[in-house]
Amino acid sequence: MSARVGIEFVPIEGALVRLLGLIERRGFEVRGVRMAERPCGRSATLSVDVSPRDPGRRLDVLEQQLRRLHGVQDITMPTAKAPA
Amino acid sequence: MSPFGAAIAARILDEAEWRPEPVSGARLLVRALEREGVRHVFGYPGGAIMPVYDALPGSSLQHILVRHEQGAALAADAYGRVTGEPGVCLATSGPGATNLVTGIANAFMDSVPMVAITGQVASPLMGTDAFQEVDIFGITLPIVKHSFVVRRSADIPAVVAEAFALARGGRPGPVLIDLPKDMGVMVAGPAEPAARVELAPPVDGQALAQANALIAAARRPVLYVGGGVAIARAERSLRGFAERNGLPTVATLKGLGAIPTDHPLFLGMLGMHGSHAANIAVDECDLLICVGARFDDRATGKLDSFAPNARVIHLDRDPAEIGKLRRACVGVAGDIGAALDRLSARPDAVAWRERCGRNMRSTAPRYDAPGNGVYAPALLRDLSKAAGDRAIFTCDVGQHQMWVAQHCRFSRPQAHLTSAGLGTMGYGVPAGIGALLADPDATVITVTGDGSIMMNIQELATVRRYRLPLKILLLDNSQLGMVRQWQELFFAENFSEVDLSDNPDFAEVARAFGIEAFTIDHRDEVSGAIERLLRTEGPILCHVRIDSRENVWPLVPPNSSNVQMLERTW
Ligand SMILES: Cc1ncc(C[n+]2csc(CCOP(=O)(O)OP(=O)(O)O)c2C)c(N)n1
Repeated sequence: MSARVGIEFVPIEGALVRLLGLIERRGFEVRGVRMAERPCGRSATLSVDVSPRDPGRRLDVLEQQLRRLHGVQDITMPTAKAPA
Repeated sequence: MSPFGAAIAARILDEAEWRPEPVSGARLLVRALEREGVRHVFGYPGGAIMPVYDALPGSSLQHILVRHEQGAALAADAYGRVTGEPGVCLATSGPGATNLVTGIANAFMDSVPMVAITGQVASPLMGTDAFQEVDIFGITLPIVKHSFVVRRSADIPAVVAEAFALARGGRPGPVLIDLPKDMGVMVAGPAEPAARVELAPPVDGQALAQANALIAAARRPVLYVGGGVAIARAERSLRGFAERNGLPTVATLKGLGAIPTDHPLFLGMLGMHGSHAANIAVDECDLLICVGARFDDRATGKLDSFAPNARVIHLDRDPAEIGKLRRACVGVAGDIGAALDRLSARPDAVAWRERCGRNMRSTAPRYDAPGNGVYAPALLRDLSKAAGDRAIFTCDVGQHQMWVAQHCRFSRPQAHLTSAGLGTMGYGVPAGIGALLADPDATVITVTGDGSIMMNIQELATVRRYRLPLKILLLDNSQLGMVRQWQELFFAENFSEVDLSDNPDFAEVARAFGIEAFTIDHRDEVSGAIERLLRTEGPILCHVRIDSRENVWPLVPPNSSNVQMLERTW
């Protein structure tokens, strides 16, 4: 079962790899990624479908870890999604 | 530059009609470092960083030429721990940058403020596999708080200001600035910086009220202290809180000294090599008040059986740590000192305090080891006593590191610099260098092992070059002792690749670097050796031969509960 995490962030250099890398390193599989082309100079929104690699991985912990990245402005946490 | 920075810069320009003289990017970098109050930069030159080295002479920065970039990063780490301000290290692209990586990771794991500056190949060459090109930005992504690649010379002041603000703000950590060579050479009229300050979230009053209620109701409370207290410089608040509420206190490796280790409420370090009294108190407590610690596995042992009967209050500057590994009944994120000052509930815990104190006295370490050889724990206890409160111990990694934690006394956390989270062999000597430059009046003592010292032995040349009065105590058991101990206990004495009996003569090696040195191997030489170490004005190395079979006790086996401590047999 995957969950959809919404991330609003300042699209500075490296931001995307930093975000996706953190999600993977903290024990979540990235199952899907969406990001619309952003209007110039605006913040960007990334939506990532994630699923924990083991039962010890918690979304609330991941949320806090994403929030502390420089340039992350907001996180929206999931509505659980049915398995693909 | 951040949009915020750009707006402020524009305002400054408008208001003052300031027309800065265009200068090279490298000079902008040096000026920006000066503006941050940087006095020492630890580094090693090379092709891509040459513009910066060209701009160094004539600046107010003292460059410390190390002999390996790892030494630069680790020295900067120690400098950051002692001063509370970011330590700065500088390296060229490619191998220079990759040699910094261990030191950057070390700072990341222990939340140490650091700014690492790497040269990079010129912008048009980036991504072409040019000579000495590595993607250091990519390599360090998981081990930095943030990182920048400079894309316009004019941004350098803003990038530097932002890097320093990030490195020192909130939960501190390392920040990387990768500077392509052309950015250092190019001439620019700088936009002036305006860095963001990371404000602590306001402490939640309701959470504090809940915490006070839990403390008031507790009968067996324990205060569990980590490195976050030192980072927040909240030692005074911590001590006041512990004393107001009469709380038996335990500390992690990094928390040692947050409350003086000879304080009557202090029970010792907890965890794998923790004291009996500390581990038992945590096991029996009904309330665990965790301050600036993170339930690291070396401290908790098997997490499921850690403080099994306790409710948890967790205070941390970093909200991401609260509840990460152990759920907290009450979490308080924000300024630790401010939160501690508002916690007071005076639990009825007299009987518990007495019980903890009795346990502490009856299980205190023994120093009457049999034989005539040097017993390292006794030596360290005596050295620490003789060195006094102005001493700073920097450690390497292994058995000797644990002995320092167990047997030296610390009245402030900055007196104990140890690689806790990463466990980096090779930390000790560079950390001694960083500590001495940060606090030249301190008596800085590096305790190292015969394995560890070889990891950065080249830094003895740095010690000598700058005539740093570093006192090095080398505990030589002719083994990779900690690994040998584990092989003895958990791998059926199958000793594999831990023998170092072909070590060089370390006293000779030190002398070859121009450092005074001597060797001892008998117990009756110890007091003379301590005297000589402390009396000598310049750098000195005391090489101590110790029994290769000596182990660190107590020891909690991996994946066990902290009460399953193995104890010494004599
Ligand atoms: C860079 C690095 N490599 C390997 C290790 C694994 N390790 C931990 S302790 C240790 C032995 C240390 O030997 P020594 O410095 O002689 O100290 P002793 O344990 O004998 O006191 C080793 C190899 C490490 N922590 N760091």
